[in-house]
Amino acid sequence: MFRSLLVPRVAVRSAFKQQSSLPTVVAPSAIARLSKRSYATEAEQDDLVVIGGGVAGYVAAIKAGQDGMKVTCIEKRGTLGGTCLNVGCIPSKALLNNSHLYHTILHDTKARGIEVGDVKLNLGTMMKAKETAVSGLTKGIEFLFKKNNVKYVKGTASFANEREVKVNLADGGEQTVSGKNFIIATGSEATPFPGLEIDEKRIITSTGAIALEKVPESMVVIGGGIIGLEMASVWSRLGSKVTIVEFLGQIGGPGMDAEIAKASQKILKKQGMEFKVNTKVMGGDVSGDKVKLQLESAKGGKEETVRHNHSGESQCNKCTDENMQIDAEVVLVAIGRRPYTAGLGLENIGLETDDKGRLVIDQEYRTKIPHIRVIGDCTFGPMLAHKAEEEAVAAIEYIQKGHGHVNYGAIPSVMYTHPEVAWVGQNEQEVKASGVKYKIGSFPFSANSRAKTNQDSDGLVKMIADAETDRILGVHIVGPGAGEMIAEATLAIEYGASSEDIGRTSHAHPTLSEAFKEAAMATYGKAIHY
Amino acid sequence: MFATKILRQAAAAERAPMIKFLGKRTTPASIDHTPKAHPASPYELPADFSKSSSPSFSSYRQKAIQHGPLGRQNTGSIGSASGQSLGSVKPAKGEYFDRNELPARFRRAPLDMSEIDAIETGGATLVC
Repeated sequence: MFRSLLVPRVAVRSAFKQQSSLPTVVAPSAIARLSKRSYATEAEQDDLVVIGGGVAGYVAAIKAGQDGMKVTCIEKRGTLGGTCLNVGCIPSKALLNNSHLYHTILHDTKARGIEVGDVKLNLGTMMKAKETAVSGLTKGIEFLFKKNNVKYVKGTASFANEREVKVNLADGGEQTVSGKNFIIATGSEATPFPGLEIDEKRIITSTGAIALEKVPESMVVIGGGIIGLEMASVWSRLGSKVTIVEFLGQIGGPGMDAEIAKASQKILKKQGMEFKVNTKVMGGDVSGDKVKLQLESAKGGKEETVRHNHSGESQCNKCTDENMQIDAEVVLVAIGRRPYTAGLGLENIGLETDDKGRLVIDQEYRTKIPHIRVIGDCTFGPMLAHKAEEEAVAAIEYIQKGHGHVNYGAIPSVMYTHPEVAWVGQNEQEVKASGVKYKIGSFPFSANSRAKTNQDSDGLVKMIADAETDRILGVHIVGPGAGEMIAEATLAIEYGASSEDIGRTSHAHPTLSEAFKEAAMATYGKAIHY
Repeated sequence: MFATKILRQAAAAERAPMIKFLGKRTTPASIDHTPKAHPASPYELPADFSKSSSPSFSSYRQKAIQHGPLGRQNTGSIGSASGQSLGSVKPAKGEYFDRNELPARFRRAPLDMSEIDAIETGGATLVC
């Protein structure tokens, strides 16, 4: 009470400085004005400052703008959209689609009654088509920013304190942005492989893999996860001899059902890719024309390789000489991604990351400084663009209404190989480990009329439901259009549907989605067509 | 016709769909905002998230009053800039923190026990 009557000391001092000729007479109004000026930042504060213009950041900024918040989004890349739009999901899908068309025209037209002449690859044009898609989409976000009154600052942001970030502007200079709320959405970067230096020419990450200037004669992919297999597909279709080295016993990365992973590996092997599972890369030599990688069995010498037809003993001389070393023109490092928070000035505000580099948050995305929230790849959960989008909307809702919603049990995963692999919910291994009694229904695309007519019938739908309640626990698909079909499964899980709910829902004929319905029928009863 | 109706009724009685229309989504009337572990977090929330714990050091510095807010207005005072912004702590080329980092000829010669004794006794051990 007493303190509120006092004029801030700084204000008085600065008022004296201003009127040094009359040090003893200071008009009260001047003191008030000057005191206000010294704390003037409040009036300029944004309601929200978003650091990062990737999928998490730009969605949060647009949503906040739609809700009438005064919002600034800071991005250092120079284009919006983050990894996903610039060097991730979008460019890779452009290459996957066009390389698939090329491969189909080259190898899969005769049986369809189409005769084609000389088919040539123009990699430069294919890359240009990719870039056109990317630039169109990134500019689209800039348009959405303008439409929703989002201020876009191009530069690198660093926390000066809990209410201000300093931005090193891309065009030079510095700007301070202050806000009532902050969202950190700085995403992730490719995890480097110890001992192999990334040059994006011969030792590449996914960023280099979407920008190669020529089709390499041979490529080794370290890591058989989604990114590795998608890039392996692109370059294998375009003519590279691709070998995938995976440390674990199955491909697909975490979450993929073992049965589906096995089926996918079989299909991809048929397409010409080679797999070395249960194999670790010990090191590499880049001094020669080709990159030489030393491999070792990850399971006590019992290396499970597709080439391994030698003595079968752990000390196989032939293996030691030949197979345990592999040469490649290009090596793609795809062992995962790690959160990216470097240069954010977290030390200035006392925020720390956990052992995996993730910023620690609570259920409302708040850090221990409650007005600073974190969403997307740089915090918990799967590093998926659609998960980041959901979090962006929820985080704004938490700020605005105090209530948001993301169901982490219903986040789909898709691998855009051909055929696609998609899943949502728990896989069979997880359900088994949880001790819940379950039943499984599956349906092969070879028994689906549309897949047959398309001459594209590799794969199956597998559904897992609670044995007692029939509630769907997980759906796993490998097959044509799996990425689109998984949306139905996600909706079913979000609503808590039973397999019978889906089995009794009419699906148009002839469509691939009938395989989904039939898998549901097989879960609670019997499929008609199998 | 009648038979179909009866059959349908019987079927409906047997099976109640699990998907039910719950009405328009609404914000719950009361929401517990106390920090809890994020649903995708592999571990519990760290202790410093609880409201009773002390705030971060930088927020404390902004609020704390000794002889005015600590360090914020006076540029150049100790602690006003982050350690990182001050640059590397390594000495410049040709400079060393410790004499023992210098080339061997500039370092102190090692002491032996007799020298230590001589210093401690004011030279008496050398005389005796």
